[in-house]
Amino acid sequence: MSVKVEVIEGGVPHNTIMIAGIVCTLVCIYLTYLNTFSPVPLFSFFGGLAVVAALIWGSHTIKVLCSYGIGTGVPSAGMIAFGSGVIAMLLATRVSNVLLAPIVAVILAAVIGFILGYLANNVLNMKIPAMVQALTEMAVVGALTLMGFAALISGVFTFQGLTTGSVTFLGMALQTHQQTFIGGGLIAVAFLLGAIAIQHPFNACLGPGWKQDRMLMLTAECGFLSMIVAAVMSFALITVSPIPSILSLLIAIIGWVYTYTQYMEMSKRDAAAWLDAKMIPETEGH
Amino acid sequence: MSAVAAKPAAGGAMNPAAMAVGAVLTLILIGICYVMAPPVALMALIGVVVGGVLIGFGTHFVPVGGAPAAMGQAPGIATGVAMLAAGAGLAGLFGGAWAAEQGLVVAVVTGGVGGGLMMAITCMMVNFVYVFGMGIPSASGKVAKDPITGDTQAEYKSQGTEGHGLPFISFVGGVIGGLLGGAGGTLIYIELLELYKVTLPTLMGAPEAQIMPIAVSAAGMFAVGLFLVNAVLTAYNITGTIEGPHDPKFSRWPRSIVASAAASALCGLVAILIVVPLPI
Repeated sequence: MSVKVEVIEGGVPHNTIMIAGIVCTLVCIYLTYLNTFSPVPLFSFFGGLAVVAALIWGSHTIKVLCSYGIGTGVPSAGMIAFGSGVIAMLLATRVSNVLLAPIVAVILAAVIGFILGYLANNVLNMKIPAMVQALTEMAVVGALTLMGFAALISGVFTFQGLTTGSVTFLGMALQTHQQTFIGGGLIAVAFLLGAIAIQHPFNACLGPGWKQDRMLMLTAECGFLSMIVAAVMSFALITVSPIPSILSLLIAIIGWVYTYTQYMEMSKRDAAAWLDAKMIPETEGH
Repeated sequence: MSAVAAKPAAGGAMNPAAMAVGAVLTLILIGICYVMAPPVALMALIGVVVGGVLIGFGTHFVPVGGAPAAMGQAPGIATGVAMLAAGAGLAGLFGGAWAAEQGLVVAVVTGGVGGGLMMAITCMMVNFVYVFGMGIPSASGKVAKDPITGDTQAEYKSQGTEGHGLPFISFVGGVIGGLLGGAGGTLIYIELLELYKVTLPTLMGAPEAQIMPIAVSAAGMFAVGLFLVNAVLTAYNITGTIEGPHDPKFSRWPRSIVASAAASALCGLVAILIVVPLPI
């Protein structure tokens, strides 16, 4: 049998975080659909907020799973989350009814995650109680995070929109498949931005001094940091006007600064003692 | 039971019922592909399953030391199974992708060589650091004699450790693991790329030359996703550290093959459905 290495004490229960996470993420992804009604995709930044919400949920799931000594390190959990998530997300974008795409992504990812959890728990004999639920949740988190990045970077989450863009060449608008989220390989960057952001917080905060709010604040910080990078990339794909990208970038920077200062405060709160390091003093005379 | 005294969760025991379920699941998923997708897709799915199994099996050869190895208390490379498998496989995949135009066999062999080369360089530099940086000899804790060279191990092993460094058999195992992993990753990529090159132009109504970036990127992303899924499942099978093909944990490979086949069939089917007209 497996032994729970860490205990969860206090804080918000996992189910609450899970429900809040899935609702927030889906609402934010659907809000990006408002882009269709506006001449400029002003609502793309909701994709970034969906990413942050999904990551907060996902990092707490990793905490639940990795509280059992799975013996493979925390990063592997983030990798399987996005490995299974990207597959579900790409198929879900193909759905012809755009409004169904996020729901299809959730269902498809849940099925893939459930089967992977069964394989890990029974075929590979892991026998960890939280395994099936955790892998199911993480596949959903992976799929929704990538969908959020897709909406943030290109303004849409349909396969057609993610593979077809336009470039202006000598004053003519030409259709292109190269300068797109999938065709340009930006999906690979989004993949790793998410995979690192989801596994880092628990990896950094685990131990006897683990505090839920501090870890989740670090997740939000990682999420906004990823959002900054993704917002910079959106300048290349949202070519109608730079305003949506500037808006996303501003929100990401404000969110990052806020969560970073909050995280530093919480770290100082939980630390036994701390000392502000000074710059290395310049020595003279040599 | 305290956490310190706890044994790793996964023992060596097999679960025959679950293995049968896994095998049947693989066949069902291949059957779904046969019914729903064009015949060319069935070959692609079989290629993907073979590639996934190669990754799952090959990862068992790689000497993984984890955190104890970083402190010189266990043999192997000082990182996790998933990271090493992903590193070897992706290095192979990139190598194989360059040779994609030369045909399946050349590309898969190139991918295997790329993965093996990456593992060979890693193993050699790891041993440099161990021997010249940390000042520890290479010794296995699991066997009395190296199965290849016949060198005895016990004299070189420090007390209180499970061995340290990278013995010759582990080095060879790492290179074999890299070869298999790189070949498997490349096989998945090539099969999906060929499928997308044939089917995406009609689906999107554009000539093949324009579709190529999408085909390459989508096939690459699916290959990376499949690779990580297989690597992590194998990591769950090994749970922690393994020294190489001479390690007792190596005998767990049948479980990994079933799990990798089922997981690859599932993910491969989803990757293939992307080019099939969907009802919704």
